[in-house]
Amino acid sequence: MQVNDSNKNRRSMVRLALVCLFLQLALAPNFGIANGRINFGLIYAGVIALTIGGRTGVVAGFFAGLVFDLCTTGPVGLMSLLLTVAAFLMGIEVRNRIAEDFSGSVVLFVMCAFVVSVFYNLAMFLVGQGGSIVDMLFLRTLPTFILTGAAFVPFALIAGKGTAGSSLGGGLGPVGKHSIKYSLGKR
Amino acid sequence: MPKLSGKGTAPSGFRRNDSSSGGALLVIFVALSLVMFTMSVRENGTGLFSGVRGAFSTITMPVRYLGVAVTAPFNGLGNIFSNLTADQGTLSDLKAENEALKSKNAELEEAEQTATRLQNLLALKSTYNLQSTAARIISGSNDSWSDTVTIDKGSSAGLAVGMPVSDSNGAIGQIIECGVATSTVRLITDENSSVSAMIQSSRAQGMLKGSADGTLHLTLISTDQNVSVGDTVMTSGLGGVFPKGLPLGTVQSVNKPAGALYYEIVVKPLSSTESFEEVLVITSLTEDQQATNEDIASADSQDSSSSGTGNDSESNSDSKASSDESKSSE
Repeated sequence: MQVNDSNKNRRSMVRLALVCLFLQLALAPNFGIANGRINFGLIYAGVIALTIGGRTGVVAGFFAGLVFDLCTTGPVGLMSLLLTVAAFLMGIEVRNRIAEDFSGSVVLFVMCAFVVSVFYNLAMFLVGQGGSIVDMLFLRTLPTFILTGAAFVPFALIAGKGTAGSSLGGGLGPVGKHSIKYSLGKR
Repeated sequence: MPKLSGKGTAPSGFRRNDSSSGGALLVIFVALSLVMFTMSVRENGTGLFSGVRGAFSTITMPVRYLGVAVTAPFNGLGNIFSNLTADQGTLSDLKAENEALKSKNAELEEAEQTATRLQNLLALKSTYNLQSTAARIISGSNDSWSDTVTIDKGSSAGLAVGMPVSDSNGAIGQIIECGVATSTVRLITDENSSVSAMIQSSRAQGMLKGSADGTLHLTLISTDQNVSVGDTVMTSGLGGVFPKGLPLGTVQSVNKPAGALYYEIVVKPLSSTESFEEVLVITSLTEDQQATNEDIASADSQDSSSSGTGNDSESNSDSKASSDESKSSE
């Protein structure tokens, strides 16, 4: 028998969304290295994709990207596109991965964060926002990637504890203690 | 209450949804994002997405205020990277300067600083006879691409896209997005910013452009002009956006490459925008703040002299100044 607590899941998702929105609006503009800013939208999409995944991850990725786009002065739709795809890729393989394979989840997120940063900045470069590809790579992409990757770790730790440590569906995640990685086979 | 269900087949909630990998949703959202992206790129400061963004900015303004209040004491952390790469001499100078600043800072109260800034703004407004509205910076840039700040006044206060913004030291940028209660200002240090400028002493006219590394570059100053380190750079008024004569920065270095027609000039900005700082949005220009026919003729003659020495590729600096500054305002 499995435990399903979709209401708690939703509450956790909303709480995390509010925290990430607050941090994106309040912290990100005031804390940066070089031109880099933490992308809390990417972190939110990553956490949801790596804990719940599937359709929920895709929806979270899209809306997180959309909010990020509205927060910035860049074109609307670019980050939502990238985060939708990134959340789909992060959530497609294994559900609740963050509790079962923490280091693997962080590595997967870091790779996705790098690809998202590169593609976002490349797209901005191609639409004429910047003059030098070197600046684009070293003054924008790398700082953003490093900051976002570092900021993801505490979120992943909390999300991992929330899903692995709870007994009745506590925190984020499709099930309480066991991941769908294993429960999928029982279906 | 948690719901218990057998074999993970819950009738509702995320559990059931997650049985799908979301491939169909992916296709829908990707298509939607591409449509939004295409429409957004075509917009020029006005349109559906600009309106939505303005509304979003207005709604989230209290959060930005809160963020600035919370993070204000930690603003210096952003300089860690540059401090790490600074040489020993610079660090020694900075330490000495820091000591002096500490002792000075102890004597000053926050209210006094605010009063001083406001007095300076009033002085600037009075000196340049600026038709302006006071505003306050409430947030910085959210992404790595734009060097912008958000101010707490918008279209309800009579502001509009394209209006120049200054602080007590001089011009700092130009409004590029305007919501009801907030506006986004592109700083002169932004890579996409360009302001028609001139050297105060020699009246040599050029174009001041921002860069990704935060420095300013004064271009289109021909090598037969006189430029020295420490010269003040100010707005020329040629673009018709900024009032003539507002300080922008000081010349930090001048390089004259062999055979080049133009100097490579690095300019140090006078202003470093910080949160909660008061600024003036210049709402209209009087006639004497705009470039005169003599200024335009002077820019023309400067450009002609450069062209006469073999430069055929550069367009007229006057018209270029106007078009570039206008582009910046879009």
